[in-house]
Amino acid sequence: MNHDEAEKLLGLYQDGELDMITCLELEKHLAECSSCQKKMAEENELVSFIQADAPRFKPSPFLRTRIQATLREEAGSSREVPWWQYFSPTWGYFSFAVVLMILLLSGFFWMPKTSELAQEAVANHVRSLQVSHLVDIASTDQHTVKPWFAGKLDYSPQVIDLAASGYPLIGGRLDVLNHRTVAAIVYQRHKHYINLFIWPSDGKSLPNGNLLNGYHVRGWAKAGLNYLAVSELGEKEFQEFIGMIQNQTIDSQQGP
Amino acid sequence: MMEAQHDTGGNLNDFEQVLLPHLDAAYNLARWLLRNDQDAEDAVQEAYLRAYKSFSRFRGGDGKAWLMTILRNVCYTMIKKFRSHETQEPFDEEIHQAMSESEMQEMFRQKANAENLQQALEKLPDEFREMIVLHDLEGLAYKEISVVAGIPIGTVMSRLARARGRLKAEILAKKAKESSS
Repeated sequence: MNHDEAEKLLGLYQDGELDMITCLELEKHLAECSSCQKKMAEENELVSFIQADAPRFKPSPFLRTRIQATLREEAGSSREVPWWQYFSPTWGYFSFAVVLMILLLSGFFWMPKTSELAQEAVANHVRSLQVSHLVDIASTDQHTVKPWFAGKLDYSPQVIDLAASGYPLIGGRLDVLNHRTVAAIVYQRHKHYINLFIWPSDGKSLPNGNLLNGYHVRGWAKAGLNYLAVSELGEKEFQEFIGMIQNQTIDSQQGP
Repeated sequence: MMEAQHDTGGNLNDFEQVLLPHLDAAYNLARWLLRNDQDAEDAVQEAYLRAYKSFSRFRGGDGKAWLMTILRNVCYTMIKKFRSHETQEPFDEEIHQAMSESEMQEMFRQKANAENLQQALEKLPDEFREMIVLHDLEGLAYKEISVVAGIPIGTVMSRLARARGRLKAEILAKKAKESSS
């Protein structure tokens, strides 16, 4: 190995990047060449100076925490893979979009209707408790209340007396709900009242156990009639009342 | 997609085991390249996030070089964004010619010169400074640096040599300025 070749390889030698054979050849030259020795020594000084004295910047301990938090977040967001993605990504997104749109559109049509109905029913209930308009016909006798509706409505609501169960009948009244005249039958439970609105089914959905401003609203359909109960009663008693009404109303509609 | 989800989502522990040990090295490189604590931290965080997102493409082996490659890209993107208006100071390579070995040794041994060293390193162009940081401070081999910087090994070799030469010249120029003032 001549001097020029050796001089070019000094850096590599110093950095331990030479293969063993070249390394041995260079060392042979280095042992004899004072110029290369001097250059080598200079380079060594510089590198050890850098290694000893150049600051090795340390991150603040918070950086690790920050990074780990970011990674957790990222892992969390990618781990919560919705089930449809496991089938086919493209079709998964597509069908998800379609389903979402259908839900939104259908919700757009029936949701406001349902809550509108519930709100209207609650408003009627509240109004019935004000200004002595609770009932048009005050009677605890179902056989008085039921005939009173005849001739005032184009259907005949069934009037059930639940006095024996602790929900005495108070009377009946005509009310307007869902743009039509409906029967309102009023029951009492201790100091609370229950309005039970009844009108012929129109196929529209009914509030299913809403709680609006502290009033329970629940509707159901049976034998061609819609029932909508509203009360400030507790959940348990309200459900008990509904259960009894549902059990005791007959399965087929009676003529007026 | 399913595989990718599985790999990135499921292997957070693996990822942290392979790459978090290199946090100090990563920060050091970012700090030297960006010359600012906050930018360096942001770059390192971004690099870890990118690395994690593409962890499924990591085929094992040298996690440090892989992370440094991503980090270096992040840093250079930031440098381009922040420093497009900055210009490098012109550099005189001839200034350090006549200095004896003993003078140099003495200078290197003075503790006060650590500050000079840092300033001189910071004055180097980015592509030279990163060679010294990666090789002399972080102990990466030429081959690893060639992967990280995306340049042939021969270029690593010559660039590192030039970087050291310029650093030495920079220190000596500074020293000369101090003794004359």
